[in-house]
Amino acid sequence: MKLNRRVFVGTGMAAASTLSAPMVHAASHGKPKVVVVGGGAGGATAARYIAKDSAGEIDVTLIEPTRTYYTCFFSNLYIGGFRDLNSIAHSYGKLASEYGINVVHDWATGVDRDAKTVSLAGGGSVPYDRLILSPGIDFVEGSVPGWDLSAQNAMPHAYKAGSQTELLKAQIMAMPEGGTYVMVAPPNPYRCPPGPYERISMVAHVLKETNPTAKIIIADPKEKFSKQALFEEGWQKHYTGMVERIGPDFGGGNVTVDPAAMTVNIDGEVVKADVVNVIPAQKAGLICDAAGLTEGNWAPVDGHSMVSRLDENIHILGDATNQGDMPKSGYSANSQAKVAAMAVRGALTGSRVFLAKFSNTCWSLIATDDGVKVGAAYEPNDEKIASVSSFVSQTGEDAALRKATYEESIGWYEGITTDMFG
Amino acid sequence: MANTAGIFVSVLGGAALVLGAAYGWTARDYRSQELAALTDRLSQLESSNAALVDQIAQGAELKEKISELEASLATALEAVEAAKTAAAAPEPPVAAPEPDTIVADATGLEFGDPSRGEEVFAQCRSCHQIGQGATDRIGPHLNGIFGRRAGAHDGFRYSDDMAMMGSDGLTWELETLNAYLENPKALVSRTRMNFAGLKDPQDRSDILAYLRQFSASPQNIPEAAPTAQAREVELSPEVLAIVGDTDYGEYLASECKTCHQQDGSDQGIPSIIQWPTEDFVVAMHAYKRQIRPHPVMQMMASRLSDEEIAALAAYFAQLE
Repeated sequence: MKLNRRVFVGTGMAAASTLSAPMVHAASHGKPKVVVVGGGAGGATAARYIAKDSAGEIDVTLIEPTRTYYTCFFSNLYIGGFRDLNSIAHSYGKLASEYGINVVHDWATGVDRDAKTVSLAGGGSVPYDRLILSPGIDFVEGSVPGWDLSAQNAMPHAYKAGSQTELLKAQIMAMPEGGTYVMVAPPNPYRCPPGPYERISMVAHVLKETNPTAKIIIADPKEKFSKQALFEEGWQKHYTGMVERIGPDFGGGNVTVDPAAMTVNIDGEVVKADVVNVIPAQKAGLICDAAGLTEGNWAPVDGHSMVSRLDENIHILGDATNQGDMPKSGYSANSQAKVAAMAVRGALTGSRVFLAKFSNTCWSLIATDDGVKVGAAYEPNDEKIASVSSFVSQTGEDAALRKATYEESIGWYEGITTDMFG
Repeated sequence: MANTAGIFVSVLGGAALVLGAAYGWTARDYRSQELAALTDRLSQLESSNAALVDQIAQGAELKEKISELEASLATALEAVEAAKTAAAAPEPPVAAPEPDTIVADATGLEFGDPSRGEEVFAQCRSCHQIGQGATDRIGPHLNGIFGRRAGAHDGFRYSDDMAMMGSDGLTWELETLNAYLENPKALVSRTRMNFAGLKDPQDRSDILAYLRQFSASPQNIPEAAPTAQAREVELSPEVLAIVGDTDYGEYLASECKTCHQQDGSDQGIPSIIQWPTEDFVVAMHAYKRQIRPHPVMQMMASRLSDEEIAALAAYFAQLE
């Protein structure tokens, strides 16, 4: 066992448990093993922090099917023409080479919770002492009648970034003059609460430049949405008359689609569209259900350590969880990952464990240099992760502040992606 | 001039004639061609002449305006002198900056009003000290900045870019400081000075006049209290004396690193590494008490205890 500085500067109690805990593992099966499923904002961060802070005391395996990860956050900015696709693409090279993480590009298909192994689509399984699941979201089948995954080429969701995002952008650019873009917005709770509305802003930005007579329709099952006043002010200011939102009062929640005919039926009224962006209702990534860790659509966790309420050896992060007040966002997942990483290290090596603190900020771009943000700080109690303070940008802010907010979001993007991928 | 041009064209025409003859063209062809060229040239000259006449007329108007402005300037100056005399008369002269510190240099930039510059400098004080006893803080102290080579003040850790600009020969003079203050990152692209810049030329010339007072003759640095700087927030000695737990700071800092880059780079979000711990503590308490305005930072600081702030300050101060 390698003793690092952290162990020596710890308190007497912590140091004592540090010396005893790993020996238990050493006796049973060598170095403690952590397996992380999902290489996004939650999983990549957790893997990196555990590997970095345990300084070789813990074996970390990261299972992620894609070799190039496209961040969902800022993918709307690609649609708006503010970023190119490469700028939101990241590889796992540094996590492997600089942090010694065993990166496995495969699908995790199931978890044997008794044997403590994760099975892989490519065959074989990986053993763990602690498992961290950060699989993101999957879609609820049948939530938008007429749409399923086989229709995602005709009617893209673009709610997992990458080829879907490219496809949606290509369809928008190919819209005929004066054409119609329809978004079917998701019901709560879903990934990235301001995401659909930032996307509307970005689509409007592109169409204003290339196709100014085009129309944008949102069919929305929700009465209210994140940063609503800010977005509506922005649409009025920058894209006057372009955006029409049909809320639940007018049947926005009663929608079916016909991908073959490219029509959307909104409460009996059939709209012929050129682009239909269907963002279905969402649930925890499939592995959570496969492992028997969900209640309803989501996986319940204890916010003190992000440990599953159904299995003390499994921590779950990010969009897949039901944890309380935090929104499903990359920032939240990143914040939760650090708490989980600390808890996992504490359990496996006896390192110091401090009180969990969480935070989240979501920046959104409405138009060129017109950025807004919303955020909150959170702390866990026995019931849930609870919001303790919050803020939101105000309507009518001056242009300099909005520009600074946008620039801040660029800084945040650099910060969080470095925090995830090294 | 018109004649010279005409002659030149004729000479060219002659030369063409010779060449043309060699290729079997007739003299008559050349004459008509020469005539066409001359006609063209004439009409060009006529139009440029007309433009010149216009300009001369405009020049005369401008001259008239200038002399009008000079007259009103002289009147204004007289009024200012009179006011100064009236104001100064009842009291003995105060220790004002020497008038000879206000000079123009060859670039046409000028030093402005140092007392107004002191007010403008208020926004710099959270990072820079100046005056007797000034020490390096988040930024280097600015005594003797004029004539100092960039990135060359001993004991301060500059960004690589700033150090390189210094070794490439950048020296702080009126012109270079003026450019740096207007847009720091335009001059030194990866400077750690996270400041958008002073866009108003008057602000810059005033602040440079203020800075200059601490450079012109360092032995006579004004007493005017720059070191007795009031903190943004009043903190008890006990709070300032808390020794931060760097391990705890490292955990708490993981939240900061979502936005603030660990390598000290800054893009839209300032670098917070290697700050003197006291400056860090004061800044965080200023957010906590909502004296500093940034909403994200107010939220972050609002739930940090004195010990947690000290732990963060200790951790970030020692980060390489």
